[in-house]
Amino acid sequence: MSRRFLASNGGCAYIDIDHVEICLLEVISAFDHVAAWHAMLRIVRTSLDNANQGRRRDNRIQVLVNNSDGQGNSYGSHLNFMIGRRTFDNIFWRKAHYLQFLASFQVSSILLTAQGKVGAENGRPSTPYQLSQRADFFETLQGIQTTYNRPLINARDEALCGRRGFDDPSAPARLHVIFFDSALAHGSAFFRVGPMQLILTLLELGLVNSRLILDDPLAALQCYSHDPTLKARAELISGVRLTALELQSAYLEEVKRHAARGVFEGIVPRADEIVALWEDTLIKFANDDLMALAPRLDWVMKLMAIERALERHPDLDWDSAEIKVIDHMYSSLDNDGLYWAYESSGFAEQLVTPERIGHFTANPPADTRAWTRAMLLRRADPDSIVSVDWDTITFKLRGRYSWPTYRTFDLADPLSFTWAEAHPIFDNSLDIAGLLDGLKSLSAGKSRSFDVLTPDDALTPNDVLAAS
Amino acid sequence: MRFLQRFNDQQLRQAGGDGDPGSADLLQQFRSQGDRLLAAGDEAIQRALAGSNSEAFLRAGRQQGGQ
Repeated sequence: MSRRFLASNGGCAYIDIDHVEICLLEVISAFDHVAAWHAMLRIVRTSLDNANQGRRRDNRIQVLVNNSDGQGNSYGSHLNFMIGRRTFDNIFWRKAHYLQFLASFQVSSILLTAQGKVGAENGRPSTPYQLSQRADFFETLQGIQTTYNRPLINARDEALCGRRGFDDPSAPARLHVIFFDSALAHGSAFFRVGPMQLILTLLELGLVNSRLILDDPLAALQCYSHDPTLKARAELISGVRLTALELQSAYLEEVKRHAARGVFEGIVPRADEIVALWEDTLIKFANDDLMALAPRLDWVMKLMAIERALERHPDLDWDSAEIKVIDHMYSSLDNDGLYWAYESSGFAEQLVTPERIGHFTANPPADTRAWTRAMLLRRADPDSIVSVDWDTITFKLRGRYSWPTYRTFDLADPLSFTWAEAHPIFDNSLDIAGLLDGLKSLSAGKSRSFDVLTPDDALTPNDVLAAS
Repeated sequence: MRFLQRFNDQQLRQAGGDGDPGSADLLQQFRSQGDRLLAAGDEAIQRALAGSNSEAFLRAGRQQGGQ
């Protein structure tokens, strides 16, 4: 099935071979990311319910929000962050320590973002339980590939922001992040984005502390992921050996140091709340208070569920197929899914309200181009829409003498075509041709600059955009 | 192996060892509360375990084509 953009919220969904792919509408804040992600899950759950109507209990379709099938196959949960072209080039082509700084952060962040997995794959040493679903499949530090020899940091260079050239240092770029696990718990989903926004801002500002760099991020990932007791240490280039918690704490301190100088203001929405939740979570880890973290983080919640099952079923052990079934069923979008049981009981912590999630099932965000994309899809005759992509929509319109004419509308800037900019045009245009004329005037003469910031001019608008 | 049991027991010992029996009681109270909420997942676990054939379920989950 080809990719289908949704008029409801500006995201898209489709089936690729044998799996559902959902792509989030562009959002700016980490909290909206959580709401938009759960909104898309809700849309899939509704579709799944409809598809399962009338099916026998033993013949229901299952959709699992996980990242490996336990049989050596992995599939990602990708995130996209809008960054400056110069920062992108610094990470991949000019400044190796930028790449290592980012990789070291991500590797230690599995403490917060991982979904948890029973067993090991891809020839890795066996383990009863590990933090990350994806860790076993990363084999190189960076590269453009996503299906083999997977890189910690993916170098795919496709901005989806119009046609500005790779040689324009002020153009936007897209950081395509293939590292993280899928998340169901709000906290895990939040930590895939919020702290990344802060770290990417440090990279944009050139505030890279090379003392936080791991000597071998790939080895550290294995080491951290395979040890749910969190005692495993990995070596930094300085020779110091840190646990994932200690390294995350060091990154947090670095962020707090810069936050105190206001460097995130005007760049990362609700940065203080991101820092506060990050710190609260690390403190709970430091206090061994995993009971308090189970409602917030997937890998802890799943571990708790499995350990309860093992307690009640002494005939089972970590190698039992039934335990792997629980691993999978944790992420099932069907009503049998364990996560949803914990959510409906009130156990799973909620960082965004059901109302905000509900809002994004039926509405685009007001503050990105997703608003205009959704509204154009609503307004246009479906037969007139020739193609839709993230930064363009092509329409087939009736021209003179009824001959068709084709118009491609550019939505190049993800931070433009917002409700505030575009709704007067929608209110005042009767047909799609008039709408396109009006919207075109919005972009005339506008070309957002993504010049690299310096710490002194950090208030220059240069939002880091999160979508997936 | 019981990862979380070890964490929790360690935490209870620490709380009890600081000379404040109240903090240990509070922690035990939180743990009981957590247990009650977690019990809501037990039914879902039972359903997962009651599946007709776990091995077949796992085999059927084989994926292809993902990134």
